[in-house]
Formats: sequence, C-alpha cells, structure tokens
Amino acid sequence: MDNIKEQMHVVYGDGTLGLNGLNYRYIFSYEAGGLESMLIDGKEWVYRTPRPLFWRATTDNDRGNHFSEKSAVWYSADMFSTCQKIKVAVNGHPIELPVAPVNNQYTSDEVSNDVDICFTFVTATSPQTTVDMNYHVEHDGEIKLTAYYHGNDQLPELPVFGIRMVMPTVATSFDYCGLSGETYPDRMAGAQQGQFHVDGLPVTKYLIPQDCGVHMNTESLLVNRQTTLNNADTDDNEFSLKIHQSAQPFAFSCLPYTSEELESATHQEELPVPRRTVLSVMGAIRGVGGIDSWGADVEPPYHISAGEDIEFSIVLNAQS
Amino acid sequence: MKPLLSWLDDPTIFRVGQLAAHSDHQHFLNQKEIGNKQSSFVTSLNGQWQFNFAKDPQSRNRHFFESDFDSASFEQINVPGHIELAGFDQIQYINTLYPWEGKTYRRPVGSLKDDVKQQAPFSEDDDNSVGQYLTQFDSPHRENNEKCILRFEGVDKAMYVWINGTFIGYSEDSFTPSEFDITDYLKPHGNKLAVEVFKRSSASYIEDQDFFRFFGIFRDVSLITQPKFHIYDLDIKPTTEENLTVGRLNIGIKLTASAAIIGGNVKLAVADANGKLLFDETSDLDTHIEFSDLRITNVHLWSHNNPYLYRLTLSVFDENGNLLELIPYQFGFRKMEIKNNVILLNHQRLIISGVNRHEWNDKTGRCITKQNMLDDLDTFDKLNINAVRTCHYPDQIEWYHLCDTLGIYVMAENNLESHGSWQKMGAVEPSYNVPGSLPQWREAVVDRARSNYELLKNHPSILFWSLGNESYAGDDIAAMDQYYHDMDDSRLTHYEGVVYTPEYRSRISDVESRMYASPAAIRQYLTNHPDKPYLNCEYMHSMGNSVGGMKEYDDLIHDFESYQGGFIWDFIDQALLVKDEVTGKPVLRYGGDFDDRHSDYSFSGDGLLFADRTLKPAAQEVKYFYGQY
Repeated sequence: MDNIKEQMHVVYGDGTLGLNGLNYRYIFSYEAGGLESMLIDGKEWVYRTPRPLFWRATTDNDRGNHFSEKSAVWYSADMFSTCQKIKVAVNGHPIELPVAPVNNQYTSDEVSNDVDICFTFVTATSPQTTVDMNYHVEHDGEIKLTAYYHGNDQLPELPVFGIRMVMPTVATSFDYCGLSGETYPDRMAGAQQGQFHVDGLPVTKYLIPQDCGVHMNTESLLVNRQTTLNNADTDDNEFSLKIHQSAQPFAFSCLPYTSEELESATHQEELPVPRRTVLSVMGAIRGVGGIDSWGADVEPPYHISAGEDIEFSIVLNAQS
Repeated sequence: MKPLLSWLDDPTIFRVGQLAAHSDHQHFLNQKEIGNKQSSFVTSLNGQWQFNFAKDPQSRNRHFFESDFDSASFEQINVPGHIELAGFDQIQYINTLYPWEGKTYRRPVGSLKDDVKQQAPFSEDDDNSVGQYLTQFDSPHRENNEKCILRFEGVDKAMYVWINGTFIGYSEDSFTPSEFDITDYLKPHGNKLAVEVFKRSSASYIEDQDFFRFFGIFRDVSLITQPKFHIYDLDIKPTTEENLTVGRLNIGIKLTASAAIIGGNVKLAVADANGKLLFDETSDLDTHIEFSDLRITNVHLWSHNNPYLYRLTLSVFDENGNLLELIPYQFGFRKMEIKNNVILLNHQRLIISGVNRHEWNDKTGRCITKQNMLDDLDTFDKLNINAVRTCHYPDQIEWYHLCDTLGIYVMAENNLESHGSWQKMGAVEPSYNVPGSLPQWREAVVDRARSNYELLKNHPSILFWSLGNESYAGDDIAAMDQYYHDMDDSRLTHYEGVVYTPEYRSRISDVESRMYASPAAIRQYLTNHPDKPYLNCEYMHSMGNSVGGMKEYDDLIHDFESYQGGFIWDFIDQALLVKDEVTGKPVLRYGGDFDDRHSDYSFSGDGLLFADRTLKPAAQEVKYFYGQY
C-alpha cells in the first residue's frame, strides 16, 4: 500500500475549485482571483487572496530622491490590479475552466495527483502589463506558488515585486532560516546566516513608518499563530504554516500592516491596532540606498527594471 | 559697567567681563579628592531656580536682577535644562533656514552693501523670547585671598549675569564655558545670582545648526574657588622623535596669584600608566613656568587600539610649604602628519570608522548625562566605531576625557554653522553669508576657535580641529584655520565648506573633506592628482531605513591610500519622547509635531540609533564594515 499515493479530491464548484487532502482543504475563488482558503489541520491561513505585491511604503531615501513619485503607478498597481484570466490544469493537462455548465460533467469523487491553477492579473498601470500567479498543488498539500511578472520597458522602475498574503489574525511569532536582522539587497553584508526566532510582528520604529522588516536570502519560514476567526474554534494551541524556498531563496517581511497602511501613517502611533498578519514574499527588491536622503539614487545594481521579466517561486505548506 | 541690550544686535560684542579661555584641568585639595573625583573647590549650583519667562525683550521684567526685587511671582525651573522642554516656550525643529523664517525679516549686520533697514533685529524685535533666572547661594568657604569663579558650562544663546544687583558680564557661544570672577561681589550668605538669557542674538546667525532650537541654561553651573596661587592654564606638549621610540614632553603653566609671590614652588610628577614615576621635578613659583624637554625613551604611543595615557600631577605649594592645590591630568603621545598625501597616525595610515554625534537625550534634549555618554561609547565599542566628530559644537568636557581613555579619535568641531546665510532651498546663494570675509564677524568666530583650542588642547584624542560646519568660506574662516596652525602643529585642521570657494583652498583645511559625496565622485577626486587626503565629514545618511551601499565606500579604502574613511551621519535620532495626546502613551515626536513652523519635520531622525538609544537594524552593517579595520 505504501507505493499508492494519497490522492487529492477535487471539487469542481460553481464559483470555486476545491482541493481536499488528508489534513488540508484549499478553495480557489474564480471571483476573488486566487487562493481564498487554505485550511490546514482545521486552521484557516487566508484572510484575503494572495495578490501581486508592487509597492513598499516610501522610505526616507525614496522620498528624498523622488523615487515614489516617479514610480507611483506601482502604488495603484499594488492596490487595484485585477485578475482577468484563469487557467486550470489537472495532472498536467489543461482543462476548460470548470464552471457551470462545464463542471456538470464531474462527480463527487474526482481525484487528482496534482492541479495547476493560474490567475493572470492585469496591472492598474498605463501601459498595462500582466502577472501570472500559478498555484501548483501536489496531492500531499504542498503548493508551489510561482509569480511571473511580464516586463514592459514603458513602465518605471519597481520598488518591489512579490506576493502579499494576508492572514486572518496576528501571528505570535515567526521562525526563519536566513540572515540576521533587517536586510536589503544593498545592506546585507553584515548579517549572520542562521536560524532566527522573532516574537510578535515587530515594526521597525522609524520616525516615519516606512518599509521595514525585510529578510533577504531566506530558505524557510514558519509563521506561528494561536488564534483564528472561527467562532467554533476553541483550541488555543499554537499552529504554524511552513514556507520553503523553491529553486532560489526568497525575501520576506512579516508585519501586521500592508504597504498602504504603513504609507499612510506619519508616526508609529498612527498605525492601526494590529489585527492581521501581512506576509510579503519577494522575488525582487530595490535597495534602500544611503548616500544621502535628498536625491542620491540607489547604487545601480540595486534597481529593479520594469522592462525585464521577473519570476520566482515559494512552497506553501511545505511538507519537508 | 552698564549692560546694553543692543549687544544682542552687535556681532562684535560676544564676551563682556568673561575670563580668558584656558585648559580644562580640574584642581583638588588632596589625593583623596582626586580618588573620589570630587573637588572641594567646586560647588554645584544646579537645581531648582526661580524663573520668569517673557515672550519678547519688551515684556521682560527690567528689575529682576536687583537685590531687593520681590520674586514671589516667579515660577520654578530645573537648571540645567531647556526652557522649551520645561514648557515655557514652543519647541521648534528646523534645519538650514533660520528659525524666524516667515515670521520676521532679518539680515546679518554688514552682510549687504547697504545695510538693510531693520529694527534692532534682536533687542527690539518681538521674535526673541527671554528667560530670567534667579537663585541664591551662600559663599563657599574660602581661605584668605582665595578667589571665587562663577562658571557656566553651556548657555544658549546670549546671557547677561548679575551678582547681588551688580552686572558682571555677558556671553555668547552657547556650547563653550563662560567664567566670571565674582570674588569682589560676594557676601557670606544669600548671594543673589540673576541670569537673563535671550533666545536670539547676532550669534543666532552662526549657530544655525540642524537641530531642535532650544535656549536656556542647559549645562552645569558651578562656583569654583581658587587658591591664592592657582594654575589656570596648563599646556601639555608631548611630541615624539622621528623614530617614535622617544617622547619629549614640554609643559607650560600659567599661574594666577592673588597675593604676592614670596617663595613657594610647583612640583611636577609624571608617571606611566602603571603608576611608575618617571619624572619628579620642582620649579619656583611664578606666573609662567616651563618644564622643558623631559625625555621618555621607549615611549608608549596613544592610539585607538592602545590608548596609552601617562599621568601628570602638578602640586602647588606656598612659601610655607603648604599644599594649595593638586592637578592631575592624563596625556598621551601620538604623531599626526600628512605624508605623500596620506594622513598618518604614528606612521600608520589613519582609517576613520567614524560617526557624527549630537548630544541627545529623547527626554531632556541636549542636556545629557554621563551615563548617556558611557552608553554611547559602549555602542561605539559594539559597532567598531573608532572616531567621532562632535557635530557641530564642543561637547561636554567629560566626553573628551572619555575619548582619551577609550581611544576614540575626535574631530573637535567649533560651535559654528551659518547654513541659512548661504544655502536656501538647497541652492548655494551666499548673498548675505556670514562670517564670510566680514570684519564685523571675524573676532566672534576666531574667539570660538580660541576657546575650543584653549579648553581642549591637552586631549590626545583630538586629531582634528574642525573650524565649523556648513558656513561657506571667506577670510574669517581662513583666520580660524590660521589661528589653529599658529597654535598647534600636533593636529590637522578640517573644514568642508571650502568646497564652494576653491580660491580659499590653500588657506582652509588640511584635508579634502566632503559630505555625502557618492563613491563615484570620491573615486574621481582620488584618481585625478589629489592635493589633499580625502575624508567624508558626513556620509551614509542614516535617515529611516537607509545605510545601503556601504561596500562602495569600503572599496575606496582598499583602492586609495589617500582615502581615510569618514563619519556616518549620524549617531542618534533627534526626536522627543512625549505623552501622546490621544492615548497617553509615550511616543517619539519630531519637527512640526509641536505646531512649530517653519519646520523640517523628521529630518533630524538620521541616527544609527533610534532616539531612545536602541539600535536601528542597519547597525549590524556598520559593525561589519567598521570591523574590518
């Protein structure tokens, strides 16, 4: 029996695609444009579907050299990009989008070894470009999430490109294997490699709230929570989501706020009461710079051209 | 002498009745006092004083200094402290523009061809708050002929002083000690000290530092008694022979005598760091004494890695052999020079892994404690910081002693910045620059150089005299440079602002100093026949989430011998911890948060440390790169 793989149940719903396994139940929403629910061991990990991440809250240096003004279209892209196309493949074979009446052909007992579902976002920029967010779900529950940005050289440089996931409640801590402290592409030489535990979701207390908390070159990440929004859930044991690198290490930040929330505050005390966990996983980040804070650009290797394609992957609910 | 309010307007009047600047040694009665670091000659006047605030010169109380003045209506204030942080005056943060921007129109005296029509700009204009301080003290115990000196370590911005109703002096230069001989004005009990401090004066033009603009008595106040024969200035000149193995020591002493010298002597003892006595010499008492050419073979040199200090003790005896005072001072031997366009310390290339440091405390502003200094030096050690620029004024004296002891290289900066007079909205516009080449301003700035030199000349940690910050350049700053070269061949001069006036290049600054130059621009300078060694007096602007790209600067250290490193801007965020008006919780606030306008908002938040002295995340990067050397 050992060589018989545990298969994944596929629920061809009318507005969603459900994938159920031994200890997980995922729901992909065609309307919301992504992974709407990631229930693992009975605990929900998704508050709002993961979306492409294009904005970082303006740093003092970004403000000084007018980067945010020049690249402001990415702020609107971060807020208002929309999912316009969805593709599904089962066991590697593309199928017609299984909404009614196409899904009438299926049964209550559909199984699969793996499923791919790809959501294509069109950016709220002018001109527009697209981002594909492909979820490759294995029967064991691992999700390899790949984000692919299609370059357009008519667009200004990017602050960041990644994936933002919002979790329903505030994490109690996170553990990661990567670099010590807060690091950026042009500020990571002094970091130590290791395994780190971070209590709470600390926001670096820069005088004006701004992008912070990035950890470069990360191999794996464990986000630990204790609470859910499920009224029937009385269990208060800690539970964790494991995220692992795919081919390349990733960068991440784990904060209680979105870029826009940080962007809007002029002081730390203006930030809202923490309610969610905002996990940003990044494939490309602009450097922070440091020559001065009133015009000097970030050094050339630490820019992100909008004209080049960017692709990166992570593994959610990693099993290894 | 009658004090005149018009002194506030006149840049040629900046010290009246003050004693001459002198070295920063302390005198003690005996060895036990030295051990306890507590001199019985010193009485602190710090504490609760009576205080009256006036929003302008016209509404100040004109009789408060009089002996019979009834001060029952006065409030209380803690000395030292800033008047704004005591709640009497509005807090304001502004960077380059003058703090009266948009409120009143002023131009510095003499700066425009036809002096602009303006009311007496500081004595009559209503943009000038006034703090009136009163305190009482009993005369400290004094033997016959002992003098009593009143000493202020720092008062911002201009101060008039009265004792028992008699005017005794006036001073400017906020960050430099002011001393007045009050011996002849004292009575045994209930002496009344009155101090009137103005927020603005002509000195405001040359104290336009990028910081919160505070005024008041913000450093210690003390009474110092001096024996009838007292060493008031000590000039320790340690030099080394070319091979650096032999040290030569010359010591010059200036003595005040308030009785006839009819004998007596001064004994000199020099010991090494282990206390082993090397010299034991005696000289007859005189107003000028020299101990010359004391030779130390196999001399220990002072440096960051080995801050070796020798111990000097001077003892003054009267004609009957009574010990009048003991003066301990620690000094070091080190050699600073420029050879082949490289700054060498003890024949080694100097690499500055430095920071700019403002004196800052998020609760008390620039009124800081010794513990704050020790904490900062502990952070220096953790982050491999080996040098500090005292931006942009002399620090509390204790700081220099600590730097001597811990081997921190100091760029000792004058209290001088006139940024608003030559740069507006980022553009160089020196139409009314001061001090420039204006004769009316020359003595004011040369006096600052003199005070800084005379006070701090014995500190081995000081490797550079910095003429000031961001004040453009002209004959007056050239005169400061000349002053330091005339007085001191053991250190280099530093000034950055001459980059805008290449015609002064040969007369100002021994080093090519720039701020915020890109690595590419520095590389360009260093590859095109540089004529001075290069350092960054400010670089790596640590505002918010910053300090990216340090490697590009680090590479320059490897690529160019004449690249000497630099001072990161800066050490600690300047923000104020206040109670949130909504939640009641303590929060950090910055410019503009006090309804203060014009303001430069959060621009003073550029530290490697947050204002509460916790490290910013970038600290690990600094620790790494600074740890390479």
